[in-house]
Amino acid sequence: METGELKVRMDNQVEREAPCLVACPVHTDTRLMVEHILEGRYKDALDLLLAANPFTSVCGRICHHPCEQSCRRSKVDAPVGLRQLKRFVVEATKEYRLRRRAPVTRTRKETIAIVGAGPAGLTAAHDLARAGFGVTVFEAGPEAGGMLGTTIPRYRLPYEVVREDIDDILALGVELRTDCAVGRDISLPELQREFRAILIATGLSESRMLGVPGIDSRGVLLALPLLRATCAGDPPPLGERVVVIGGGNVAIDVARCARRLGAAEVTMVCLESREELPAWDWEIEEALEERIELAPSWGPRQVLAEEGKVTGIELKRCLRVFDEDGSFAPTFDESETTTLVADTIVLAIGQAADSTCLQDSEVKVCRGGRLDYDAETMATSERGVFACGEVSTGPGSAVEAVADGHRAARAIERFLDTGQLLRQQPREDLPTIGDLPDETVERVKERARVEVERAPGETRVRDFSEIERGFTEAEARAEAQRCLACTTGAFVDEERCVGCLTCVRICPFEVATVTSTASIPQEKCQACGLCAAVCPAAAIALKRFGAERIEDDLRRLLSGAEKTSPPVLIVSFCCLFEATSRKFLDETPEHVGSTGVARVLVPCVGRLSVADILSPFEHGADGVSIIACAEGECLYPTGEERLGARVEEAKRVLEEIGMSGERIDLWRTKDSAEVSWTAFWEISRRKLALMKDEQQGETG
Amino acid sequence: MIVAERKPLDEIKGFVEGFGRVLVVGCGGCATVCLAGGETEVKIVGSALRIAARGEGRHQEVLEDCVTRQCEPEFVEAVLQRVDTDRVDAVLSLACGVGVNFLAERLGSVPVFPGLNTKFLGATAEPGVWVEMCAGCGNCVLHLTGGICPVARCSKSILNGPCGGSNNGKCEISPDVDCGWELIIERMKKLGTLERLVEITPPRDWSSSPHGGPRRVVREDLRQLAAESEEKSVTST
Repeated sequence: METGELKVRMDNQVEREAPCLVACPVHTDTRLMVEHILEGRYKDALDLLLAANPFTSVCGRICHHPCEQSCRRSKVDAPVGLRQLKRFVVEATKEYRLRRRAPVTRTRKETIAIVGAGPAGLTAAHDLARAGFGVTVFEAGPEAGGMLGTTIPRYRLPYEVVREDIDDILALGVELRTDCAVGRDISLPELQREFRAILIATGLSESRMLGVPGIDSRGVLLALPLLRATCAGDPPPLGERVVVIGGGNVAIDVARCARRLGAAEVTMVCLESREELPAWDWEIEEALEERIELAPSWGPRQVLAEEGKVTGIELKRCLRVFDEDGSFAPTFDESETTTLVADTIVLAIGQAADSTCLQDSEVKVCRGGRLDYDAETMATSERGVFACGEVSTGPGSAVEAVADGHRAARAIERFLDTGQLLRQQPREDLPTIGDLPDETVERVKERARVEVERAPGETRVRDFSEIERGFTEAEARAEAQRCLACTTGAFVDEERCVGCLTCVRICPFEVATVTSTASIPQEKCQACGLCAAVCPAAAIALKRFGAERIEDDLRRLLSGAEKTSPPVLIVSFCCLFEATSRKFLDETPEHVGSTGVARVLVPCVGRLSVADILSPFEHGADGVSIIACAEGECLYPTGEERLGARVEEAKRVLEEIGMSGERIDLWRTKDSAEVSWTAFWEISRRKLALMKDEQQGETG
Repeated sequence: MIVAERKPLDEIKGFVEGFGRVLVVGCGGCATVCLAGGETEVKIVGSALRIAARGEGRHQEVLEDCVTRQCEPEFVEAVLQRVDTDRVDAVLSLACGVGVNFLAERLGSVPVFPGLNTKFLGATAEPGVWVEMCAGCGNCVLHLTGGICPVARCSKSILNGPCGGSNNGKCEISPDVDCGWELIIERMKKLGTLERLVEITPPRDWSSSPHGGPRRVVREDLRQLAAESEEKSVTST
């Protein structure tokens, strides 16, 4: 049968993507990453991640993970921990990552200057260097990394982690000039003469000021300079009581740093109500664990000071922050006030661009200091000068900066190729398969999300060491199992389907329907493969682990046994989900040749058809040892029973052609693969050896 | 549909074991729907034959194919061609008996063997269970019996039942077999037409059934026109 042909047709169908991929600003195929992790292909997972995002190490730590927010498992229990899985991949492939580092060959004569070595600028540098251009990055500070390298507190993002990504990019041949501020050490017009294109990616490195009485007092600090000084190991003294003005993620960073710098009482004051707080929920939760007080719905009225030194702050009740149009227009009740005692007040109310780099240049600036910039072409008012990242888009996350860097690289490449501007939407929206329908949600088994424990808040605030550890391999694999494998389910070939209704009758999720031919909607299918295993017309193929995979694996692996002729040759189909490490995942013909056991790891052995179970015998195997999950553990309802029935059918076939059905064993994993599988193979091997001896005795 | 089931594989193996190159052909019609002879069953039978040959040290090549329906000249043409081009020594048909006959008439000197036992005309009672509902007797009497067939569903095919072997709704031949006449009576009670059974159905003419010899059905309006058939015979010679 032509499964290959069916696969081509399946791959050509118009795709709707998994929501995690669509939600990611750089469209990381996190679903495929999880599949690689499950199959033990950590290097492939890293390649996939780095192709989408050169700041993979960083994003494994601090990404705001829109992939998880859109994960379809959320409706069943909790989203898959995709950010932590990404971190796991990075940590599991460190040596490989160093080996894959290599300079790219310069194939283009044009050179590009990038101003600012943050995630946006360096991503563009990465892409343009890979496209063969000469790229030089100018960084005003002593280190590359932008906010990631100099501002985000180390307990969230250690600098070595940022460095992993930066070193990858620099290894491509990107030139980095640190301590070189454009507009001060070298002017933009000078760069324009030297380089064919310029990209301004200076970010938002300045904190906004607040206009209330007493704001000039000693002890009023700005958030970003404080965070930078903290990262540099040179923080100013803050005193016992610190008030942070602001409710965003920067305010949280400041508050948590303040605790680590010795402040006993830290209060975050913000206009927004508790529900409206703009910081990420998990950041707020962690801040509360560290005994940070929240004072929502308050606005600063005046800073209180004695002899020019801060003593506290008077607050007024904020009634609402936004008007009917959603614009920022806070209203206050001046009659309701309160006072907080403080040694230090830190302002974290917003960020602004540092426009030093535009000194002496013709690049136009709008009112309010923003760059005059076209959001689609990314061009500034000067030909050949482009902008990307927060300086043009406004405040955003690291992964959004990376996405904008990719977009800028495409815009510049087009400009250098054709002299034309490329129009690109700020965000590419792809079609998704949407939420998991309610009727399917009910049928999907719940599986608790793997959470790594954090040290208690009181312990954490003692220093700046990282508060979160990465997954162990077993944890990563357990979490990866929870992925619903969206979009990899059954595909019906209508030309073959005879409308027999078998899929409708077998589907444990009640997904399949038949009118004239079967329909298995992607948004409902759970990719268990039970239908494909029994479709009498072989009209159903699976995207993940399709029918051809088993044949291909058998052909490859059993070639190893041809040379060595082990006394007994067993093919063992094993449940991929039971492997808590990579121990049994890598299988080679040589290993099969020496051990006589060929492991084929299957994402649920419930998908094995009778023909799959028989196939090893065609290739010369003496026995088949199927190892399913532990009893009651199958992800898919009825999977265990269906497999049991198919194993019986395969045994019957063997018996009918005069072979013993005992050549096929069905095992249930005990504890884990590592604990029990070797014993199962040994039992099967001994039994088969005995059968072989008896047979030879009879014929002899 | 026509319901069939796979013959025991040792029997099938016996048919073809003397042939070097065997083509197993499935049927995408009824045989697929009743899970006896579609693509997937072809794979299983093909696999079993290869495993057996390997185990017994015989050299035998087993090829696999499946056509839309083995009872149509246009569809079986591909099989005939493959038998020629691949120099097939024997064909194993996983269609109902019709497919086997149809191929046998067209395969010249290459033998065709049945891989299935053709059982009956039936329906799916529940997933994986098929039951006989029609005997193909050629002269339907279902209007007399509330839509339940006395020919197919009464073990004796009697037209004025039940007989004395009916016991609590079951037939005397087996407690697993419903008494067809009990089903008819219950059905006609529901329809309010039970009194019709008072009338004796006279002995029928069974010449329309298989006992009357091989049957055929002709639709004159769809038959090949004389000119067409002449033209075809010219092009084929």
